[in-house]
Amino acid sequence: MVNPSLLVGIPLAFAFSIPLFSLISKKIEKYIPVVALLINLTISFVLIPQVLKKPIIVSLGGWSPPFCINLVVGPLGIFLATLISGIGFLVSVYAVSYIKKEPTQKYHILFLLLIVGAIGIVLTGDIFNLFVFFEILCISSYALVAYNKDKEGTEAAIKYLIQGSIGSSLILIGIALLYGFFGTLNMADIASRITSVEPTYLFISLAFLITGFGIEAAVFPLNAWLPDAHSSAPSSISAILSGIAIKTGVYGIARMIFTIFNAGSILTFIAFLGLLTLLIGEMSAFRQDDIKRLLAYSSIGQIGLIVFALGIATPPGVFASLFQIVSHTLAKALLFLAAGYMIYKVGSKNITSLNGIGKRMPLTSLAFAIGSFSLIGLPPFAGFMSKLSIVYAAIQVKKPIFLAFIAIALIATVIEAGYFFKIVQNLYFKKGENIDKITETSGFILIPIIILTGAIIIIGVHPQFITGLLKEAANELLGRATYIGWVLGGT
Amino acid sequence: MNFLFNWMYYFASGGLILVGLYIVLVKTNLIKIIIGINFIETGVNILLISIGYIKGRTAPIFSTTDINPADVVDPIPQALVLTAIVIGVAVLALALSIVIRVYKHNKTLDVTKIKGLKW
Repeated sequence: MVNPSLLVGIPLAFAFSIPLFSLISKKIEKYIPVVALLINLTISFVLIPQVLKKPIIVSLGGWSPPFCINLVVGPLGIFLATLISGIGFLVSVYAVSYIKKEPTQKYHILFLLLIVGAIGIVLTGDIFNLFVFFEILCISSYALVAYNKDKEGTEAAIKYLIQGSIGSSLILIGIALLYGFFGTLNMADIASRITSVEPTYLFISLAFLITGFGIEAAVFPLNAWLPDAHSSAPSSISAILSGIAIKTGVYGIARMIFTIFNAGSILTFIAFLGLLTLLIGEMSAFRQDDIKRLLAYSSIGQIGLIVFALGIATPPGVFASLFQIVSHTLAKALLFLAAGYMIYKVGSKNITSLNGIGKRMPLTSLAFAIGSFSLIGLPPFAGFMSKLSIVYAAIQVKKPIFLAFIAIALIATVIEAGYFFKIVQNLYFKKGENIDKITETSGFILIPIIILTGAIIIIGVHPQFITGLLKEAANELLGRATYIGWVLGGT
Repeated sequence: MNFLFNWMYYFASGGLILVGLYIVLVKTNLIKIIIGINFIETGVNILLISIGYIKGRTAPIFSTTDINPADVVDPIPQALVLTAIVIGVAVLALALSIVIRVYKHNKTLDVTKIKGLKW
C-alpha cells in the first residue's frame, strides 16, 4: 500500500532539492516539477480505488487520533488531490518552455510549494495543520504573482498580500476560538463535540473562518484582489491560481460548514452570496478589454456558481458543485494556458489584438474556443454536464427561493455566453493586423493544451468516469457522522 | 475591576487586532499598512497564548525534574504561536521585498497614488 503522506512529501522534497539538482546542470531544474507531479499523479490514481473501498487515516508521530496530526484521505480528499496533481503536472509541462525569465529556479521551487500547500489543505484532518498548509499556499502565490517584477505584478501582489494576510489572521482567530472551546485541534474531534458549546459562540468562530476562507475563495464582497492578481501573474500561474488556489478556499468553507459546524441554517445565505458573486463576476467580465482580466472575472463568476451549488446542500447539489469544480478547473486552466501563449505571440493583452488569430494559430484557438464553450455550458463539453446537474439539483429541492436563484444564475450564464462568443468571433471572423508572422505553438506548450481539451470532451461525453468518485465525495461532505467514525473509530 | 483583571489579555489581543485593522484601513502608506498587518498577527498570537494561560502556573519547560505537569500552562497554544510567528516573519519579509519593488516602479508608497490596476 502506498502511504498517502507521500502526496505531500514528494513535492516538498523535490522543491527543496531543486538547488541541488541545478548544481549538476542548470538545464534539468525545469523538469523537476514535471517529474515530482507525475509521481504524485500516479500515486493518487493508485490510491483512488483503495480509498473508495476504505478511507485511509494516516497518523503522524505514533499517536492515535485525536492526539496526533493526521491526514484523512477520504473520497473528497483524494478527488481534489488528484485534480490538483493533474493540473499541476500539466501546468508544469507548460512552464518548461513558457518560463524563460530568470530566476527560473525560484519559480519552480515556489510552484512546487504551492502544490504542496494545496494538497495539504485538502488532505489534512487537523485544523491548525490546515492553517499552516494554507499559509504555504498563500505565501508562495504572493511571491509568484510578483514573479515578473513588473509594475502590474508587484502592485497586484501587494494588494493580494495585504488582503490575504488579513484573511489568514481571521482564520487563525477562528481556530484559536475553536481551541478555546474544545481544547482540541482535530477536526473530527471538534465535530463530534460541536453540540456541547453554545451556538452563539460557535457562530462567531464560524464567521471568522468563513470570512477568512472567503477571501481566498474570492467570494463577493471579498474578491477585490482576484482580478488584479490573476491578470498580472505569469499565465501559468494564473492557470494554477484560477484552477486550484481559489478552489481550496471553497474546500475550506465547505469543510467548516458541513463537517465541523454542521451549520445548516446559514446555507441559504451562502447560496445567496454565491449567486451575488456569480452576477457581479459575470457582469464585470462582460465589460473587460483585457483578456486575462476577463478570464479572472469569469473565475469569480464560476466560484459563485460553485458556492451557490454548495448552498443547495442536498446530495445532488454538493455533487453538482464538485462537478462544477472539475469542469471549471479544466476549462479555466485551458483558457489561461491558451490565452497565455496567444498573448506571448501577439504581445498585447487586449482582446482586439487577438483578431483573426484563429487562422494563424488554429490548434490553440480551437482549444480556446472549446474551453470557453465548456465554461458557457454547451454540449458535448464537461461544462454542460456540470451546469445541468446544478440546475437539476436546484429544481429538485422544491423550494421556491431556489427556483428563483437558479433562474438568475441562468441569466448570468447568458451574460457569460455574450462575452465568450465575442472573443471566439474575434478569433475567427475578424480581420487582424500585424499577425502575418505569427506561427502555431509547438512542443511542450501544446501537450497540456491538447490533454486538457481532450479531458473536457471526454468528461462531457462520458461523465460516468468521474461521477462515482464525485458521489462518494459529496457523501463524505454531507455525512459528518461517517467522517467522525473514520477518524475516531467505530462509535 | 476584578472582571477587567481576569480578561485583561483578551482585551489586549482584541485591542491590538482592532488597532491593526484601523491602520490597514485608514493609513495610505504601504509600510504603515504592513505594520498594521503585523499588529493583527501579534494580537492573534496574544489571543492564542491567553487561551492556553492558566492563572498561577509556570511555563511548560521541563528543564529540571521537579516540575509537576499539573503546575504548567497548556503547551499547545505556545507551539501554535511559535508556528504563527514564523509564518508572520515570512509574510513580513515577503511584503517588504514586494514594497521595495513597488517603490522602484512608482516612486511613491502612497496607495492612493498607485493606480496602475483598477476595476
